Amino acid sequence: MKSILLSGVFVLGLSVAAYAQEAVIGAVLPLSGSSATQGDDQRRGMELALEKINADGGVLGHPLKIITEDSGGRTATALDAAKKLVTVDKIPVVLGEFSSGITIPIAQYLLQQDRVHINIGSSSTQIRSLGKGAFSVIGLDDVSGAFAAQDVFSGGAKNVAVIAPNNAYGQGIANAFAAKFKSLGGAITSTVLYTEGQTTYRRELQQLAAGEPDLYVYTAYGKESATINRESFELGLNDKKWYGLYLTMCTADSDPQYVEGQIGMDLNYIGGNGGDYQKAYEAKYKGGFTSTFNGFAYDGVMLVAAAINKAKSLDPQKIEDAIAEIGKSYEGATGPILLDADGQRSTQPYLRLKIESGKAVATQ
Amino acid sequence: MFQFLVDVLMRACDLMLVAIGMSAVYSLMKFPNIALVQYAATGGILAIVLQKIGAPVAVAIVFAVVLTGLVAVILNEFLFNRMLKIGSSTAMIGSLAVSLVFSAAFLVTVGPNPSRFRLPVSKPIRILDARITEPQLVSFAIVAVALGVFALLYFRTDLGRCMRATSTNEVLADATGINTARMKTIIVLISGVMAALGGVAIALKGEVDIQIGMDLLLPVFASAILGGLGNPFGAVAGALLISLVETVVTTINFGPLMGQVVVFLPVAYASAISFLLLVAALLWRPRGLFVSEVKRV
Amino acid sequence: MSDFIIHVTIMSGLYALLALSLNLQAGLGGLMNFGQIALFACGTYGAAIAFHFDFGAVSGFVLAVLAAALLGWAFASVGRNLQADYWGIVTLALAEVIRIIATNEDWLTGGAQGIGGIPPLYAGLDGQTRQLVILATVLLLVLAAGLFCRHLIGGRYGLSIKIMREEPQLAASLGYDTIALKRQLMAVSSVLAAVSGFLFAHYVSFVGPEQIDSSETFLIWAMIVVGGLGNNAGAIVGAFLLQFTFAFIPFVKDWIGLPSEYVAAGRLLLTGGGLIAFILFRQSGIVPERVGGRRYV
Repeated sequence: MKSILLSGVFVLGLSVAAYAQEAVIGAVLPLSGSSATQGDDQRRGMELALEKINADGGVLGHPLKIITEDSGGRTATALDAAKKLVTVDKIPVVLGEFSSGITIPIAQYLLQQDRVHINIGSSSTQIRSLGKGAFSVIGLDDVSGAFAAQDVFSGGAKNVAVIAPNNAYGQGIANAFAAKFKSLGGAITSTVLYTEGQTTYRRELQQLAAGEPDLYVYTAYGKESATINRESFELGLNDKKWYGLYLTMCTADSDPQYVEGQIGMDLNYIGGNGGDYQKAYEAKYKGGFTSTFNGFAYDGVMLVAAAINKAKSLDPQKIEDAIAEIGKSYEGATGPILLDADGQRSTQPYLRLKIESGKAVATQ
Repeated sequence: MFQFLVDVLMRACDLMLVAIGMSAVYSLMKFPNIALVQYAATGGILAIVLQKIGAPVAVAIVFAVVLTGLVAVILNEFLFNRMLKIGSSTAMIGSLAVSLVFSAAFLVTVGPNPSRFRLPVSKPIRILDARITEPQLVSFAIVAVALGVFALLYFRTDLGRCMRATSTNEVLADATGINTARMKTIIVLISGVMAALGGVAIALKGEVDIQIGMDLLLPVFASAILGGLGNPFGAVAGALLISLVETVVTTINFGPLMGQVVVFLPVAYASAISFLLLVAALLWRPRGLFVSEVKRV
Repeated sequence: MSDFIIHVTIMSGLYALLALSLNLQAGLGGLMNFGQIALFACGTYGAAIAFHFDFGAVSGFVLAVLAAALLGWAFASVGRNLQADYWGIVTLALAEVIRIIATNEDWLTGGAQGIGGIPPLYAGLDGQTRQLVILATVLLLVLAAGLFCRHLIGGRYGLSIKIMREEPQLAASLGYDTIALKRQLMAVSSVLAAVSGFLFAHYVSFVGPEQIDSSETFLIWAMIVVGGLGNNAGAIVGAFLLQFTFAFIPFVKDWIGLPSEYVAAGRLLLTGGGLIAFILFRQSGIVPERVGGRRYV
């Protein structure tokens, strides 16, 4: 016990001593648990940003450093991680997480501690009301839900069933979708919110099918969507069309045979000048993007680095002001990032996608 | 309607074998061994891992099941027998501790992500109005065969008679020349094998993650206790009852009552309601539904 | 670093309250409560719901304490006819039902994403001072609770509970109402758990269903078994020992360079392995139970 304590003190001593010289920022990502695929992809985006920043001379004359903590996909673990970042590592800015249900409590904690929070992966509309010091570089669900509803409706479906995870993200996007879809004149036959982390969703899917919809709208994190896609195939629900909200997230871990022909929407994750970023990613990780989320993580880190350089300080308050200033016109890898008065990304381009021969391809 | 029956049976098969194992162990050892649910997880996960490193499915399953049975015997010799000398409550907490160590071992060896058997994608077969896939049928068959063999063993062989005698009155059985220590080892082996087969049957039907053991804990206990711990075939009835309640609760459409097309109770409540059923049943019959034993105060 | 140590000490103190509460039930009364976390949940959700509906912190505290006492009383009532192991499973099941309700009733509990932004204790003070004042509050409460438990165990009441635990028939023949004794004991110890939960909610400022997972109950069990079942000082020592060890696992991970899964695995292994080791090799724990009272009898 004593040696453990000592080693802890030793490690901490190092990081505290380092703080005086170089800029250190924190990240809380789901590196394990059901969103580990996306979390790892976020980490890749951050690594690329770090390489680019440090190749261009770093931040305040020193290389930038990111301390990444695993949330395990659990709120309690994520909060402990955020607490460690604030109290032990003394970081001014934390990026993360992926699930809205985790992003919101850690952001609330960070704001209480007067630190800056950058949302790089969550899209719940509740994030808008977090308050000063919280920023999003990703578009929220009031925008995406409405886009999807319009898309589904103009595709000809009038009665649809919705299945989404029972968390802040799922509830938010299901509501946003339903509100717009009903206003267009369509009907929602049933909405099923499922508990995350199960190994079977047969019962949920059977409840969903009971309303006999023309089309199923679904959204699920990678590991769970793999199960949902397989079981909907086994139960024969794939006779009807499936529409994925954030389609590449929904199909990332699924067997291609189960998701062939699915349609959906996703973030337009590469903007006008994102080409270099995409090339760097493909060169480093030997393949295409595994999810749509790495770009936002990249942009988040780039934005923070620019802000620290602009503020010439590691004081959270000054960084916050600098981000707000830069956010008036910032061109990121994911397209133009314009932050509104709430610090949220106000414009977000989306894509229509279809799964053809196992790949998501853009359609018009 | 037929789909409903299939769903009930499928859920009951998840619980049945582990619950039988738990009840059988209780009949001799007089403590509920929580670690049994982890034997189920071990069986399922080990079989998947063995298939991944190249063994054919059948071989992987047999190896996984036998190995798990042996693990059960070893743990019993070295841990549970010693804990039982202190008391049955201690042994129960001990078995809980063993379960936690299992979870840690799974986390380090196979990691938190779910995995499944690599089987070819099979189109579901339509039987009446139900859809069943081939692996699901195999899983049914495994449970049915295991159940049949256990019934034969329990009711038709000397071994079974000795087991029943030992469970009813250990001292008397000892006096009539039954080697109770050996009986215990055999029943522990059988319970480990049954639990592992239960885990394999679950794994055949879909994803298995390392949480599967702890997820099974309460439903399996509920089945075994409803049937009366110590009565293995009561556990079968208990599993059927729990599955029936869980399935009924999630398939009743409350829509017409509430003036909407479809309104269902959230699926999460299925287990809550089966647990409440357990509590209600115990308030009425404190030792389970299918136990005639007189309560000793 | 000192901030972090203070944080861990506060958390240890909150767990020490929970461990003292479980020790009263399990160590003194011999009640195998596997639903301890549900009593804690009464505390956390009492605070969170009062905040959510703007009732104010005082009514939140009253709500928390009343709900916990009522639940403890209900636990004891359900268990009046049950064997210890059956009752253990029933409390586990009831705690799970409460967790499921907390996960699904958004209007009341915030559902899966919980209730955040609960105001911190002593909101008027600045960060560093506030932490120190909270630390002092928690430590004082642990001390007071420890003295209270000592008083309870050492007195006539403790003696009657011990008779009930060891010789229920004798206790009944001496005119003790054993069910009333159990109910009182559960209600009193539940209040301790509720206080811990209430403070936890205001300290962490977030309440969610994954905080009341059954694995937390198992952790509290490990604390009292490691510390020494039946001994108040032992419960406190166990809580601090496990919390501090857990808090430093991530640093060991950074130091040796292990993947993050090992943190969770390390926690499970320490909880389970610690339980097994203490059951097998040092059954009386770090601080053994003193047989017989010292001051009163």
